Amino acid sequence: MSTAAASTFDSALSGKPLRAIAALILIVNGLFPALWILLTSFKTEAELTQKPITWLPHAATLRNYIQAFSDQPLLTFLFNSFMVALLSTALTLLVSVLAAYALARLNLRFRGLIMSVIIAVSTFPLVTLLVPLFETMRALNLLNSRTALILPYTVLSLPVCTLVLTSFFEGIPRDLENAAMIDGCTRFGALFRVVVPLSAPGVFTAGILAFVNSWDEFLLALSFNSNPGLRTLPVGIQLYQGEFAFPWPVISAALVVGIVPIAILIVIFQERVVSGLTAGGVKG
Amino acid sequence: MTTTSMFKSQADRPVARRPWLSRWSDPDDTTLAVMLLAPAAILLGVMIVYPVSRLIYTSFLDLSLTSGLPARFAGLANFRQMPDDPVFWQATWNTVLITLITVPGSLVVGFALALLANLPFQVKWPVRLSLLIPWALPLSFAGLIFGWFFHSEYGVVNDVLGRIGLPRVIWFNSPRLAFAAICLAIIWKASSFMAMIILAGLQTIPRSLYEAADVDGAGRMRQFFEITLPLLKPTIVVALIFRTITALQTFDIPYMMTGGGPGTETATLAMYIHQNTVSFLDLGYGSALAVVMFGLSMLVTALYLRMIRGSGAAS
Repeated sequence: MSTAAASTFDSALSGKPLRAIAALILIVNGLFPALWILLTSFKTEAELTQKPITWLPHAATLRNYIQAFSDQPLLTFLFNSFMVALLSTALTLLVSVLAAYALARLNLRFRGLIMSVIIAVSTFPLVTLLVPLFETMRALNLLNSRTALILPYTVLSLPVCTLVLTSFFEGIPRDLENAAMIDGCTRFGALFRVVVPLSAPGVFTAGILAFVNSWDEFLLALSFNSNPGLRTLPVGIQLYQGEFAFPWPVISAALVVGIVPIAILIVIFQERVVSGLTAGGVKG
Repeated sequence: MTTTSMFKSQADRPVARRPWLSRWSDPDDTTLAVMLLAPAAILLGVMIVYPVSRLIYTSFLDLSLTSGLPARFAGLANFRQMPDDPVFWQATWNTVLITLITVPGSLVVGFALALLANLPFQVKWPVRLSLLIPWALPLSFAGLIFGWFFHSEYGVVNDVLGRIGLPRVIWFNSPRLAFAAICLAIIWKASSFMAMIILAGLQTIPRSLYEAADVDGAGRMRQFFEITLPLLKPTIVVALIFRTITALQTFDIPYMMTGGGPGTETATLAMYIHQNTVSFLDLGYGSALAVVMFGLSMLVTALYLRMIRGSGAAS
């Protein structure tokens, strides 16, 4: 009796209408905020303060986008975010490829301990770096410099990237490397000519995670770089708010500009991102 | 067994060695391990060990950059100041409350989303994207956007409330409502990540287990509680601990939504550390507050390491 009941329940659960409702819930939940901002970015200031509020823009305009670039140096914010994210990602990858190779390939006696340290560091609260780094950067005259952000961001992503890469390296057969070494490669040669190319998807995944981490970081960017010319996007976005005015259509346009690069990355590499997030670690 | 190097064996070393290569370009395993791990170790040393020791040192100093006075050893003065500081209590209480509300909240919502996303969809990418986009959206953007959602005049939340016949709510004038709005935003932001982790866990559970349970006549509910939940436990524990540590550091969303207001009613510990350090330039007190934060998260991390050691899940 219960088998019959279970199977009807089962077919109801995997039935088409239910799947459609589930998909709708997931999509509305996940995309509504971004969609709302996109819609708002096409509205005029006058339409925004209409009551009742409108959902779809009545007279869609692109003027907010022009204003987003002219009111504040949005291009500069974008450039700063890109520079900081790219440089810290490159540095993170270089350091974590080396460390992950050692963890995956060499029979380290202290492997368990090193792994524990990496996991402990991955839970390290960035807030506590704020005070000593602020003090140090101030003393070294590095406040308002990209270096002040690149180094902490590298440390922020290092544990996750190392864990992702270790698990990828472990999946590459040792014989390939040994063959390369017998053919005359050094260990470094084998690492960079055989292991890294073969684990390109892993390196790429780790790179995306590091990039997104840097692109999103707010607290340190807010605290260290107050110079408008050096602000990253999350910090620069705040400058659109006046003392009393809150030009929402323009802010929305700037937000859309800030979301697009990340969204493109995510859309193209969605499967890798998911595998990276679940393989290497958990931070978010 | 008798080797004194760091390695258990050298068996996987290839035999072909070229003696003319220098020690640097083809090092033995111990040297190689040191070389490979050195950059990471140096980076962690410079960026974590040094700052943390500096932090602990500064927390014993009377160091306020606005006073213009040189740093002076102050013993436990910074820590003694905390019990009498109402904002410290408020910020700490808010942080703990945010953790207690949003960690289980994002687990429940994330679990629900994962169960929905685990249905056999023919086209997978829309579902995947709707979990990934909230994860990738910067927290600060999410805070700004949700602040706008809850705007009393032009916010979409009040618009929806009005449409279904409920009264408009002025969210950010009341500490409680502002706090609720912040928690909702955090749960939204965190739950999609939870969902991805849980979904990945769900997909590793062998289908045959459910088929066997079907044969034995176990209903869906029983299957959920006796197969799904126990098998997902390690995944959930790891995700929960990371969420807890992230929640303790909550900054971006309340900073963008309320700026801690009204008054300091919705300020968090991280916001208070930021304010003392960057706005008041009181590095001594800021450091002492950060030490408290550090202690809190170390406690959670220790718990975490013990749990993964216990379950043997460390890979």
